[in-house]
Amino acid sequence: MYRFEATQLILRHAGDRPIVGNLGPTSDELRHAGHRDRNFYTYGNMGLCSSLALGMALGTSEQVISLDGDGSLLMNLGTLGTIGRESPKNLIVIVWDNEEWGQTGHQPSHTAMGTDLEKVAQSCGISNTATVRELEDLDAIFQTALNQDGPWFIVAKIQETDYMPVAPVEPEFTLYRFRNSFL
Amino acid sequence: MTWAETIVQSLKDWNTPLIAYVPDTSIDRVTSLIDDDPFFHLVSCTREEEAIGVAVGSYAVGQNAAVFMQSSGFGNSINALASLCIPARTPIPIFMNLRGGTGEFNISQVAMGKSTKPILDLLGLVHFTIEDEYRLDEVLNGAMKLCHAHRNPVGICMTPMLHGGKVV
Repeated sequence: MYRFEATQLILRHAGDRPIVGNLGPTSDELRHAGHRDRNFYTYGNMGLCSSLALGMALGTSEQVISLDGDGSLLMNLGTLGTIGRESPKNLIVIVWDNEEWGQTGHQPSHTAMGTDLEKVAQSCGISNTATVRELEDLDAIFQTALNQDGPWFIVAKIQETDYMPVAPVEPEFTLYRFRNSFL
Repeated sequence: MTWAETIVQSLKDWNTPLIAYVPDTSIDRVTSLIDDDPFFHLVSCTREEEAIGVAVGSYAVGQNAAVFMQSSGFGNSINALASLCIPARTPIPIFMNLRGGTGEFNISQVAMGKSTKPILDLLGLVHFTIEDEYRLDEVLNGAMKLCHAHRNPVGICMTPMLHGGKVV
């Protein structure tokens, strides 16, 4: 599956739930798939996408969706331990796993060499997990996650393709729009 | 009130219920009070930049948050401050045990400890150093007010002169 069609699928089911996008193409494609106040695009802070989502899940009763990446999560695997320790029922982490550092020259990431992020999550005490390769399988497991207590951790294996245009880089507006929707 | 109780009261006065931290001996007197107080949710993180991320997430959904760490961990959180907190404008108070000064026994703590305030200056972040309890409530209240007015992190650097430090 491609990240953009998978992102469109997530948005179709997400309703008004807050979504955090990992930096780079994940946030760009989230914006192109459907700009909304409750998209929290990130532009830096590599590795912190799911940590941000964890903080959100601890601050609101609404379900929070993290769209993370394999390279970014590998930079901050400890946060899976924190998610397991806190176990917020309202957190759904989805990892777009292209098995490479796509933005820096397509170097293979550790998930191409044997690291199994789903097993890492399980060993951190996150019991609701899945790894999917097809769009229809992501559709099914995401709808299950929306209807059952989490935390959820879903690895979606994706194929890298051409990047979409870079979305506007406006971190202050992003935070302002997003936060205002909770006040 | 002890200095630790004054910090806890200040966090309450500024309605800051989420505290993300990496444990530290010297500030344990504050974080253990926080852990026992139902007003707060204390989140134990694996690394200081992760704590910044968790705190910003909480703020982003409308719940104020603060971070506790020691100055060595401040070194681990610089990119989170530079690429997230500053461009997004997030008022996150950062309480730090400032190592590397009076009574330091560990050579490995000195360079980061002595660099912490200059790095905060380079980032344009305001910081306060607390050495004793004199007018502590006023300093904390003022620091929190500035933090929210500036919508940027402030550093609150606590030295061993305040908390006794880690001794060997």
